[in-house]
Amino acid sequence: MSAHEPGLMAPSVEASVARRPLGTRVSDAMSGGFRVVPVVISLIVIWLIFYSQNPAYLSPENLSNLSLQIVTTAMLALGVVFVLIVGEIDLSGAALGAVCATMAASVAVNMGQSIWVALAVGILAGMAIAGLEALIIIFGVPSLITTLGGMTAMMGLLLVVLPEEFSISIGGNPYEQIAATQIPASTSIMLAIAASVIYALGRWSSQRKLVSEVSMLRRVVLPSVLVAVVVIGVVTVVSSSSGLALPVAILILMLVISSYFLTQTRYGSHLFAVGGNRQAAARAGIPVGRMIIFSFLILGACAAMAGIVDASRLLMVSPSSGTGSLMLDAIAAAVVGGTSLFGGRGTAWAALLGALVIGSINNGVELLGLSTEVQNFATAGVLIFAVAVDVVLTRGRLLPLRL
Amino acid sequence: MADLVSITGLTKYYGGVRALSQVDLTLHQGEVVALVGDNGAGKSTLVKLLAGTERADAGEIKVEGQSVKMESSRSAVALGIHTVYQDLSLCDNLDAVRNLFLGQEQYSGIWTGRRLRRADMEAETQRILGSLSVKLRSLNTPVGRLSGGQRQGIAIGRALVTRPKLVLLDEPTAALGVTQRAEVLALIRRLKEQQCGVMVISHDLRDVQEVADRVVVLRLGEKVAEFTAGQYNSQDLVGAITGAHETASGGVA
Repeated sequence: MSAHEPGLMAPSVEASVARRPLGTRVSDAMSGGFRVVPVVISLIVIWLIFYSQNPAYLSPENLSNLSLQIVTTAMLALGVVFVLIVGEIDLSGAALGAVCATMAASVAVNMGQSIWVALAVGILAGMAIAGLEALIIIFGVPSLITTLGGMTAMMGLLLVVLPEEFSISIGGNPYEQIAATQIPASTSIMLAIAASVIYALGRWSSQRKLVSEVSMLRRVVLPSVLVAVVVIGVVTVVSSSSGLALPVAILILMLVISSYFLTQTRYGSHLFAVGGNRQAAARAGIPVGRMIIFSFLILGACAAMAGIVDASRLLMVSPSSGTGSLMLDAIAAAVVGGTSLFGGRGTAWAALLGALVIGSINNGVELLGLSTEVQNFATAGVLIFAVAVDVVLTRGRLLPLRL
Repeated sequence: MADLVSITGLTKYYGGVRALSQVDLTLHQGEVVALVGDNGAGKSTLVKLLAGTERADAGEIKVEGQSVKMESSRSAVALGIHTVYQDLSLCDNLDAVRNLFLGQEQYSGIWTGRRLRRADMEAETQRILGSLSVKLRSLNTPVGRLSGGQRQGIAIGRALVTRPKLVLLDEPTAALGVTQRAEVLALIRRLKEQQCGVMVISHDLRDVQEVADRVVVLRLGEKVAEFTAGQYNSQDLVGAITGAHETASGGVA
């Protein structure tokens, strides 16, 4: 009956095919691992512009400075990436981080507990509150509204958890050491080498048995060499002036763990499925509600870490903690880095790249003594350009169909 | 043949509209049952009830003699009922491997964070897609970038990943070319050889006559006729579907 015998079937992956149009190939590549290319190009352009104005911009001191400036944004952006991947959004993370940082500061300073207890309290509080928001979202209130309300509620909660004098100074407390600790350059470089080796081994173990027409050289050796050069190079430059700041190391650890979970595990696959086609995910038996809660728990933990690092850098928590442009910068960073606002696409590294783009603009504007409006216009331009790229990738063609 | 799924008195209302009324139906292992009927006959409703996406207002569903409650898609999947939806239900952002194994991934232990066994799944994907003669440029391409036929192949291939007891196919040949239609019908026969129960919903009476061992006709939410292969002709079928000759439904169970 059957027209073919399974054993005689041609392999389903064709080795080489006729050349396709350039637009299709570019668009295919961009939907895969080359999504970061336009972001990296934007970053290089921004760096070259500022470097041409002031060579001090790319000095090790300033790069080290930049790395510390972007940590909070990148940490919060990482949480936002998880929420965007399942097709939701969050506006409350920055305010939530301030609440968590304040709770941690109360535990560490006012109650005199160890810094580990304080960290645990802050992070667990962040996860609990974000989890509560997720429950409301699953109930059916759109995440935009839930977290907009959540943001306002967090600003109120911040006033509740702050003591009567409305601020806690953390100078002299171990809490201060989170941002102040510098990992010496030699140790940092050793860590970077170790990380590169682990990456190469992981890459090899995951790729060696895969079916692919691409050679192992291109799938394992080249990516591993590229990662090693970038990681060791960046760590060497950033740590050369005064060592690697502890928050930067924490951020890298968070990114590596997140990236592993998103790309290699069943949890990650289900998060992307929920963001890609919620009905299909549900029909396949994936617990959609649980995956949304899961993404918000990670957001809560990331927001808490961001708030704690921020407080540690500013040496205090106050009613103004978590206000300002942090939240919008974090969302912009996630999107600029290549995470789709429509759900289902994104990487952990998008948080870092996007935060680097936005941080580089802010840092350069400050360094050159330009006015704030230049910073605003540049950030706005990059954000809208990035979303336009995303729109083109989503619809798979450059121009909209005529309606 | 053992009773795989038996349905008695299944009824479903949408508001005041009775979409399905007192339907009795038995499905067996290794048997292909076609469900036919005009638009609004209740075919899709019956599939939704069996797939767990809707709940019945009255009636009973038994799987292998056990009375079951269809709470959600998850309970249907857990009971071994696999549905291939007309809209295919693929995640366009994920590649063929991840779509094929969606919700039924192969993964390593908890200490790796349930790491996907990608190599095993890729090999299995190649085998399954090869057996359906679905050709892909790369297993890593998001399925949103594939052609309609490739997507249909992946949606149907999902039914081969686990060994479900019952496969429901909602209009599986509706959007296919001649060759692919033949492939789908061949797949249905292969499912049958594997002792799966198969229920096909189709508008295409050629499909029905080619693969079905039994044909169940619904009209306005009620089961009006049941034919056994070889004991009916096209006119009987059309007559039962349209209600042109009520009394001709000689095969009513």
